[in-house]
Amino acid sequence: MPAGWWLRKRHYFMYVVREFTALPMALWLLWLLFDIKGAGAGAGGFQPPRSTGFVVFSAVCLVFAMYHSYTFLKLAGVIIHLKLLDRPVPPRVIVFTMFGLWALASIVIGAVLIGFGR
Amino acid sequence: MSTEARKRLAYTHLFWWFMFANGGGLAALVLPVHILVQGILGPLGIVTVVDQHYDTWVNVLGNPIVKLYLLVLIALSFFHFAHRLRYLLVDFGVHTAKSVPVQVIFYGGAVAVTVVTIWVLLTTAPISFG
Repeated sequence: MPAGWWLRKRHYFMYVVREFTALPMALWLLWLLFDIKGAGAGAGGFQPPRSTGFVVFSAVCLVFAMYHSYTFLKLAGVIIHLKLLDRPVPPRVIVFTMFGLWALASIVIGAVLIGFGR
Repeated sequence: MSTEARKRLAYTHLFWWFMFANGGGLAALVLPVHILVQGILGPLGIVTVVDQHYDTWVNVLGNPIVKLYLLVLIALSFFHFAHRLRYLLVDFGVHTAKSVPVQVIFYGGAVAVTVVTIWVLLTTAPISFG
């Protein structure tokens, strides 16, 4: 393929962005691992994440993570084939269920992260 | 190729596809809320978050279910990321990204992150049901 092929059409560009989302998400998860490790430093050595730079970094990662979620869950209707009572479940029902699961998981995990904080 | 070798190859594909699909699905479902709460709302002081205080963070991290959840989240996600980034290189014309050494680097990286995650989770906060 010629160099710069992904800049020729919006569809190609968005495909590359979708694949690229893996990098910022990986970086954020590495930070999470670092944050977990920080708990081993003891009460005196523990430094909670509060810097502006970290918030900006997270905001950028969040945009990519949301795009990953949107594109990945939207594809569920194409990838997942289910039968209910011997009849195929329509793709839009599968996609709707996946987005519902996303909302539910976000509420539950958000509640745990916030509810156990002080 | 013998039937046995073909079967082995099919199982290998099945394994990587399983890791890729589930890692992508899990990251899609739960990663945005982690980033929003732990990366933005907590540091800005908008809400109270477990990792903003040492005692609440250690308390939560000591729970074995939380440890297992974090392990699955980080490990599966990294297998997904390894697969996507390797194929992104292929799409950009880096054909060596299809070679075995590059596969070892990418998927080996995911395995390394998994091992480090296990070590961090086991050595950071003692397991407790409290």
